[in-house]
Amino acid sequence: MSTTKSRNLSLTRRGLNFEMLMWFFTRLTALAMYLLVIVGVVGALIMGARTQMNIADLLRWAFMPNALHVQNSNIADIAPWATPFWKATASLFLLIAASHGLHGLLSVLDDYFVRPWQRQAFRFIVIVLLLAFSVIGVYVIWTS
Amino acid sequence: MQVTMKIFRFNPEKDTKFHYETYTLEAEPTDRVLDVLERIKGYEDGTLAFRRSCAHGVCGSDAMRINGRNYLACKSLVKDFGANITVEPILGLRVIKDLIVDMNPFFENYKKILPYFITESPIPEDGRERLQSQEDRERFDDTTKCILCAACTTSCPSFWASDDYFGPAAIVNAHRFIFDTRDEAASERLEILAETSGVARCHTTYNCTVACPREIQITKAIGEVKMAMVTGKV
Ligand code: FES
Repeated sequence: MSTTKSRNLSLTRRGLNFEMLMWFFTRLTALAMYLLVIVGVVGALIMGARTQMNIADLLRWAFMPNALHVQNSNIADIAPWATPFWKATASLFLLIAASHGLHGLLSVLDDYFVRPWQRQAFRFIVIVLLLAFSVIGVYVIWTS
Repeated sequence: MQVTMKIFRFNPEKDTKFHYETYTLEAEPTDRVLDVLERIKGYEDGTLAFRRSCAHGVCGSDAMRINGRNYLACKSLVKDFGANITVEPILGLRVIKDLIVDMNPFFENYKKILPYFITESPIPEDGRERLQSQEDRERFDDTTKCILCAACTTSCPSFWASDDYFGPAAIVNAHRFIFDTRDEAASERLEILAETSGVARCHTTYNCTVACPREIQITKAIGEVKMAMVTGKV
């Protein structure tokens, strides 16, 4: 005998679960944020950052591609930096980062608070915070 | 060489708070910390309490904090710590006396993951062993090495926060059965471990891997359980 018996467990038998989904979600969103930073950096370099921006401004832009973040650099024409594409990228970044980070906060709280009502209360608070951050953030991105 | 041992002391019948006591004695560099403890108990202070049984790193009863890190006293040589050695009980479990802690929460968590062989399929035709290929056995070889000393679980910050977390040792033992082709309750165990008190509490701090006196790659095993949970592949 030299074969490995790989077994597949059906999802219905092993159960679909909040923690499992969030664990997976956290990994995916982390990768997505790396990707968005790369999109931000590459986009900025194409739009003139290579000669008209210092590294601090570039990184600030990469982590939140909002046109306001390039105002103080030597970029002459800010219009290409304020397109709907960049606003959408910034919104996506915000939604992903907020959900990723707030779930992180929740998992730290879960370490210390173990009574079901406490965990429920913190889940509720975190969902309210997530909604508030997302709505306010997206509003600011599209109206600034 | 001369060794100064600073030992955590707590006697529930007399003390309201723990204190440290210091003993200075001769020891060989190749003596084990356990030997020095035995000498203190035997010749200097018979009231010192600690657990030990096999004295050969097999039974897992003498896990303790030596100079701030979890070790088995019977597998730790004096020369690796130098002339000043501080010995304290493992963290996150209630101290009963001196270096002895209440292991109940640890074993309660261990029991939750069904740490025994479960199968419904009939015994093989010949009525003998359930055979398994070497590759299949290899899959969970590392996690069979666990001796339940609790060095890993009591090195874990998530477990310090609350013993509601199953802890690395319980997950290691779940891994041992989940990846065993002869066992048929992997789904059940994965479902149990998917609870909020299960693998979600592991933040890959890696303390457990460092603490394990059997050198089990614990964080890796926990990672494999997490992946099995998502993909269903074991
Ligand atoms: S006394 Fe048995 S493991 Fe150390």
